[in-house]
Amino acid sequence: MKRYQPLHTITLALVLIFAITGILSINGCAPTKAVAAKSGAQLWAENCQRCHNTPSPASFSAEQWETIGMHMQTRALITQAEREKIVEFLKSSR
Amino acid sequence: MKHKIYKLMGLIALAMGGTFPHLIAQTSGGLDSTVLDRLNALEQQANYQKPGNDHFMVAGLTTFGFAASKSTNTLGGVSAISKTNSLADADHYEFSPMFLWRHGKKFLLEFEPSFSNNGLGVNWADVSYFAAPNIIIRAGYLVLPFGTYAKREAAGWIDKLATDPMGIADMTPTDYGVEVEGGLPLGSMKLNYDVALSNGSQLLGNGTLTSGNIVDNNNNKTITARIGWLPFSNSSLEIGVSGMFGKVGDLGSPYQNATGNMYAFDLNYVKTFNPVLVNVKAQYNIQNISNENYVNPNDSTQSYSFNNHTTAGFVQCSIRPTEANNFLKNFEIAGRYTSYNLPGNSTFGANQHSIAVGLDYWLTWRTVVKATYETYTGNSTASKLLGAYNGTTNTNTFYLQFSIQL
Repeated sequence: MKRYQPLHTITLALVLIFAITGILSINGCAPTKAVAAKSGAQLWAENCQRCHNTPSPASFSAEQWETIGMHMQTRALITQAEREKIVEFLKSSR
Repeated sequence: MKHKIYKLMGLIALAMGGTFPHLIAQTSGGLDSTVLDRLNALEQQANYQKPGNDHFMVAGLTTFGFAASKSTNTLGGVSAISKTNSLADADHYEFSPMFLWRHGKKFLLEFEPSFSNNGLGVNWADVSYFAAPNIIIRAGYLVLPFGTYAKREAAGWIDKLATDPMGIADMTPTDYGVEVEGGLPLGSMKLNYDVALSNGSQLLGNGTLTSGNIVDNNNNKTITARIGWLPFSNSSLEIGVSGMFGKVGDLGSPYQNATGNMYAFDLNYVKTFNPVLVNVKAQYNIQNISNENYVNPNDSTQSYSFNNHTTAGFVQCSIRPTEANNFLKNFEIAGRYTSYNLPGNSTFGANQHSIAVGLDYWLTWRTVVKATYETYTGNSTASKLLGAYNGTTNTNTFYLQFSIQL
């Protein structure tokens, strides 16, 4: 096991760096004005295609998009603000 | 004069009432009650249609296909060739409805049973509580946050190739536990976190791991965590690091102090460079299990040991046109290199590599027909002393696969 000690250390260091950045984020970092101003359509185009093709708004009903949005937030870990804007865009574009 | 006019109008009204009674009915209380009745009925109908807090829906996916392969195994200078072809593509067939229940905007239940070559199983069954804007608490039978392939990219209608990269999904357990996760804004960047506490994997008598035990095999819980970082404001790049740590041996067994430490590094880059959309995905998994003495399968009075170190990694790139006619825009080409190395001197040791190339045609955003050609090379590193050495295997396989999500 000693053989993999450097890897263990590197991983822990990376986790620590990300964790500190995360804590900083929770404690006050907010999206920039430009990011906060992004529309649902833009967020839909940017985030959905990270895993799969961008979905057609007509694929689901308005109620279903609410459910799908929650499901996708648990999978892709988009922020709540992003989810709400994307779902609103999909509902209004049906 | 005024009185005379009023009298005349009254007489005309009486005369009309006698001649055209239906006109009078339309302009008096008879009309009101009809409209009111209709309004009441519509109101009642609307109330029936008005959604409550509970919403239920069924989504899901299926994957079906054809696979033809030719395999050559060389052992001790002797080669054996085998050819197979199967409809239903037995290793990759799947029918998985996904049930989603939502209660308001705070609770979500997810359940995905799956019928495949292995019979009827469950992919996941969990409840999520959206506790705060970017904090989701989950519990149940969860896909653990180890890398991103198993949780985000493995579904047939998402994966660009017909096969999974060797070892990647196998090394990501689904387990009973609790999980906290979320995404966070960070200026023009984003972070996401995912931490799970679960029963943990179980070490078997040959040094491999199994998972998904509802009763923990020891008193130790396994912690799995992943942090993802999206450095660009357009979310085009995500890099992540994961770790999984816990005891894996059965309580009271010779392996009770055995530990399993796993690490994963993942990358996802999706960006349009007109006239194409470029999609790069990669993940590298490392698994270290403490050195233990295992019972010799050929002689139970003897034991053997090996360095229980496993790695699996893949790099995949796909390209899809963005500036073309509608027919051409539906094509996507993909290529992937996978490496999967199992511990030498065990009963299952092997150094394995595969290269897969594919051409996809997207019928809709969630319906795809894939043609994939994969070459596999496996060099056994299993113990010759234990009689497990299996020579070299080369396999070429052609897949034609249809996958849909609804």
